Amino acid sequence: MEKHMAVCPYCGTGCKLNLLVEGGKVVGAEPLNGVTNEGELCLKGYFGYDFINDTKILTPRLRNPMLRRSRDAAFEAVSWDEAIQYAATKLSAIKAKYGPDSIMTTGSSRGTGNETNYVMQKFTRAVLGTNNVDNCARVCHGPSVAGLQVTLGNGAMSNSIPEIEHTKCVLVFGYNVADSHPVIAKRIIKAKERGAKIIVCDPRKIETARLADLWLPLNNGSNMALVNAFANVLINEGLYDKEYVANHTEGFDEYKAIVDKYTPEYAEAITGLPAEDIREAMRIYAAAPSATILWGMGVTQWGQGVDVVKGLSGLALLTGNLGRPNVGVGPVRGQNNVQGSCDMGVLPTEFPGYQKVTDPEVRAKFAKAWGVESLPDQIGFRLTDVPHLAETGKLKAMYVMGEDPAQTEPDLALVRKGFEAMEFVIVQDIFMTKTAMFADLILPATSWGEHEGVFSAADRSFQRFTKAVDAKGDVKHDWEIISLLATAMGYPMHYDNTKQIWDELRELCPIFYGVTYEKMEGLGAVPWPCRDLDSAGSKYLYEGNVFQRPGGKGLLFATEWRPPRDQLTEEFPLILCTVREVGHYSCRSMTGNCAALQTLADEPGYVTINPKDAKALGIRDQELVWVSSRRGKVISRASVTDRTNKGAVYMTYQWWIGACNELTIHAVDPIAKTPEYKYAAVRVEAIADQVWAENHVQQEYAKLKGGLSNAVARATKKAPAYA
Amino acid sequence: MNRFVTANPSKCIGCRTCEVACALAHSDGAGVEGLAPDTFKPRIRMVRTADVSTAVMCHHCEDAPCVNACPNNAIVYRQNSVQVEQERCLGCKNCVLACPFGVMDVVTVPAVRQFAGMTMSLGVKAQAHKCDLCVGRDAGPACVSVCPTNALTLMDREAMDETLRRRRERAALEAAEVAA
Repeated sequence: MEKHMAVCPYCGTGCKLNLLVEGGKVVGAEPLNGVTNEGELCLKGYFGYDFINDTKILTPRLRNPMLRRSRDAAFEAVSWDEAIQYAATKLSAIKAKYGPDSIMTTGSSRGTGNETNYVMQKFTRAVLGTNNVDNCARVCHGPSVAGLQVTLGNGAMSNSIPEIEHTKCVLVFGYNVADSHPVIAKRIIKAKERGAKIIVCDPRKIETARLADLWLPLNNGSNMALVNAFANVLINEGLYDKEYVANHTEGFDEYKAIVDKYTPEYAEAITGLPAEDIREAMRIYAAAPSATILWGMGVTQWGQGVDVVKGLSGLALLTGNLGRPNVGVGPVRGQNNVQGSCDMGVLPTEFPGYQKVTDPEVRAKFAKAWGVESLPDQIGFRLTDVPHLAETGKLKAMYVMGEDPAQTEPDLALVRKGFEAMEFVIVQDIFMTKTAMFADLILPATSWGEHEGVFSAADRSFQRFTKAVDAKGDVKHDWEIISLLATAMGYPMHYDNTKQIWDELRELCPIFYGVTYEKMEGLGAVPWPCRDLDSAGSKYLYEGNVFQRPGGKGLLFATEWRPPRDQLTEEFPLILCTVREVGHYSCRSMTGNCAALQTLADEPGYVTINPKDAKALGIRDQELVWVSSRRGKVISRASVTDRTNKGAVYMTYQWWIGACNELTIHAVDPIAKTPEYKYAAVRVEAIADQVWAENHVQQEYAKLKGGLSNAVARATKKAPAYA
Repeated sequence: MNRFVTANPSKCIGCRTCEVACALAHSDGAGVEGLAPDTFKPRIRMVRTADVSTAVMCHHCEDAPCVNACPNNAIVYRQNSVQVEQERCLGCKNCVLACPFGVMDVVTVPAVRQFAGMTMSLGVKAQAHKCDLCVGRDAGPACVSVCPTNALTLMDREAMDETLRRRRERAALEAAEVAA
C-alpha cells in the first residue's frame, strides 16, 4: 500500500492526512500529526475520499472537454485543441466587441490549490484585462475580510488554531463549530477542560451551546444589537482596558456615543435575551486573562455582516485581547482554501498578497512582472452581482472554475436567468454539476488527490499537499488549462509545475516571500506574514499591538442595528436560516459522491423545526413538507427538534430537491455584497399524501441525476475518439 | 472485568464518525464503497436529544441480560467481553428485548453456501448484532480510534481503576473544601 501526504479538501482547519492507495485507487485516509489537527480527522476527513474514484453516486467525473455549439444542442466531446481554440476565439471576440469588463472569472476555494488561483487571477488581469475575478468568500467570510481590514488592517484570523485550546474564554458567535470544523471543536472542548469559560451566541441549541457555560439564544437577525450591548456593558461597567484603549485604539468617543443607547435593557427588546445574561457574558469575557472570539456564517451571511464583524473586533480591542498568544478574533474559514483564494488575489479589489488594484505602484510592479503594458485600475464585479449584470447585458461571458453557483448562490431562479442571459459560459470542474448544465464549454480538471499544491488553512498557515493517484481520462491540471487558454489568446503562459508558480508569486508578495516549498515539506506549516527566508511565519498578528492601519491603531466602530430585509407576513410567517451539516460539504459534488457520507444523509434533506411550530402546522417528525418563500417552493423532510428555536426553520444548502437556495433572498451587505442567507420569510406546509411525496422526491431526484449523467454519457458516446 | 466502550457526552459533537468506522470495521474489508443506506447497520449509535448528544453501545455487562435471555446459548462471555456465536443465533429477539440499553439488535444477512465453485443462496440468516469490541482488530475498537474529540474510551480494568482513583481524589478534595 502506498501513502501520499495531503491536506484535507473539506473545511479550513487544514488537517494533514495520508491518502492510502492500492492499485492506483484511493482506498483510505489516515490522520497525520499536522500542526492544526495533531493526529485527528473528522467524518469527512476519514471517509470523504472516494469521490476521486468516480463512484457516480451523485454525478459523474468529467473525462473530456465537452462543447455545445448552441444552447439547444447536446454536449459533444472534443479535443483539447478544439476546446481551447473555441474558448480563446469566443472570449477574444466578446472582449473585442463589449470590452474586457464584459467577462468575469472565478477562482476556486476548493481542491485545486493556491497556484491555480494565482494563475486564474493573472489570466483575468493580464490577458482578459479586467479585475472581474472573485471567489466564494463573497458568499461566506467576505464581510470578515472587509470589516477586519478596516478596524485592524488584516482580514484573517488573528491567532492560530492550536492557540484556541489555551485561551481562557471562547466567545462563539454565530458559529456552529461542531458541524463546520469538528477538529476545531476539539480545541474548544480542550480549552474548557483546561478551565476556559465558553459563551455561545446562537439562536439554535448547537452542540457548543450544550457545552457552554453561558448560552445566549438571541433572536435571528439581532446580531448588531447584541454586539453593541456587549460594548455598552464593557464601557458602562468599567470592564474595558482603559490603558489599551488609550494607547492602541482610536474612535472611542464616537463609538461610545453610538453604543450608549444599547443598554442591555434596550437590547433585550431586539435580541430577546435577558439583560442580565448580556451583562454576565461580558463580565466573563472581560475577566478572562485571555479571550478569543470565533465566528462563522451566523455573523457574515447578513445584510449587516461587515458592521457586526467590525463590532466584534471592537470587543477584542476594548479588552486588549489582540497582539499576543491565545487571544484574538477568529473568522474561521469554511472551505479548505477560501483563505487561499483570497491570499492569491482572486478578489476584484486585490492582487495576490492583499495588494490593492487601485494602487498605481502595485499595478506597475505586477504589470512589469507579467510583461504587460498596464493592468486594469477599476475594482471588478462581485460574484453576487453576476445575475443582475448578466440580465442587464453588462456581463456577457463567465468562466466558472470549481464552483457551483447554480446550487450555492441565493435565489437560484435569479441565478439561472443570469446564466441563460450570458453569451458564453465556461465551466471548469472535476464533476458534472448543475452549473455545468448551463455551460457552452466544459473543461475537465484533475481532482484533489490527482495533483499537488499549497492550501491556506483558516489560520493563514500555508501547507503543501501531494498527488496520490494519476487522473483518468483526458483531463488537465486547472493551472495548465488556464495557461493554454492564455497562450491561445496571445499571451504565452507556461509553467512546468506548481513550484514554479509558487516561486513567481512569492517574489511578488512581500508577506509570502519567506514561505518556500522547502519550509512546507512534510508536515511543515508556515503562517503568513512571513517576509524573510529565515522566518517561520507569524502565529499571531499585530505583535506589539501595532495594527496595519495608518497610524498603527485599531479602530473602534459601531453603528445602529438594522433589521433583516425579508418581511415576515401571515403568508410567510417563519424565518428560514440556511446552515451546514457535518457530513456534507458545499454544493455536495464531492461528498455526494462519497458512499459513507451519502449513506448518512441523502435527499431531500431536512428542514428542522421547533415542536411547537410543527404541532401548530400538523407536521410530524420525518414527514415530507413543502417549504415556500416569495421566490420558490421545495420539498423537504421535517426534523422536529427542541434544538431549533420557535419561529425559525433551518435547512442545509447542498440538496438538489430540498434546495433551500430556491427560497433565499438576494439581499446583500452594502460593502461586502454577501447575501442574507440567514433570513428569508417562508411558509412550511404539511403534505397529506406522504406516499405521493416520497415517490415525487425519488422521481425528481432520479430525473436530476439522470440529466447530468446522460449529458456526459451522450457526449462521450458521440465522439468515441476522445472517450 | 468485561471491557466496554464508554462515551462522554460532554465531548461528543454528534458527528457520527464512530458509526461509519463501526460499519466499516465489520464490512469484511469491503471498504467505504460497500456502504449503502439499506445495509448501514453500525453497532454504535449516536443519539441526539434536546440536551444530550452521545453515542450508545453495548456495556458488555458482567451479568448480561442478553446472555441470560438467549435460549440457544448463542451469547457468551469471551475475551473479557460479551460475544455472539452467530451460527447459534435463532433470531428470536429475546436478547433485543432483554437489553436495557437498546443496543442489541437482530438483523438478517444473506446466507450463502459454496458448492463446486458456485455460490448458492440459502435465503437469509439471523444475527444478533452488537458491539464486539472489534476483537481481532489490532488497533482496538474502530470507533475509539476515529472519534475526533476523543469522546470514546475503551474501559478495561486498568482504565476503570484510574477513573475510580481520580473520582475518589476529587471526592476527598471536595470533602476537604466543605470541612474548611
